[in-house]
Amino acid sequence: MSAITVTTILDTSGKCCPMPIVETNKAIKGLSLGDILEIIATDTGTKKDIPSWCERTGQTLLSMTEESGVLHYHVRKDR
Amino acid sequence: MKSMAIVIRDDSYDKILTPLVFAYLASAEQTQVDMLFVNWAVKALTVEGAANLRMDGRHAADEAMVRENVAKAGLPNDIYEILKALKSSGCVNFYACSLAGAIFGVNESNLIPEAEGIVGASWFLNDKAAKADHCQYF
Repeated sequence: MSAITVTTILDTSGKCCPMPIVETNKAIKGLSLGDILEIIATDTGTKKDIPSWCERTGQTLLSMTEESGVLHYHVRKDR
Repeated sequence: MKSMAIVIRDDSYDKILTPLVFAYLASAEQTQVDMLFVNWAVKALTVEGAANLRMDGRHAADEAMVRENVAKAGLPNDIYEILKALKSSGCVNFYACSLAGAIFGVNESNLIPEAEGIVGASWFLNDKAAKADHCQYF
């Protein structure tokens, strides 16, 4: 598996719904097609929200990992 | 979901948060959201009314805690600031019910500029709610 090259990091630590999604949406708008956004989150609601948001907006969720309560998502801008 | 209509009646600070948050989420998916403010909630579409929203009844004593936690969550804890953030998304429209405006004192002179205007409920129900993919009432 090739390594993921992150274009931009968005840290939403401490914030809760709806802000991780709202800020993810804003961040992805500033990227180019193919760019990868890393989202850091502590809101467990994002475990469902981020994949759902990606599916609905046509972005690709490349990975989701969790370590010590901190979630990391890698999202590729495809639309 | 391409469109959503929301009718808001409850005007206490804590209860109005939910429809505003739902609208914020929907706007992040480019869903068009149309919101009709009826009854006392129409006052939220004025600067003074938005600033004066309070928590009612048995939860009133917890208002400071709730406002603090709203800010911690990353949201503005001022309702007007939330309305402005929603409007800036470009996907959310606010409408004041004309009957509610007449009863509760909201007119063109005190309506916030972020609102689309004062409209009849019939128009909203037929042109927005009935045509929306999803409709919610709060």
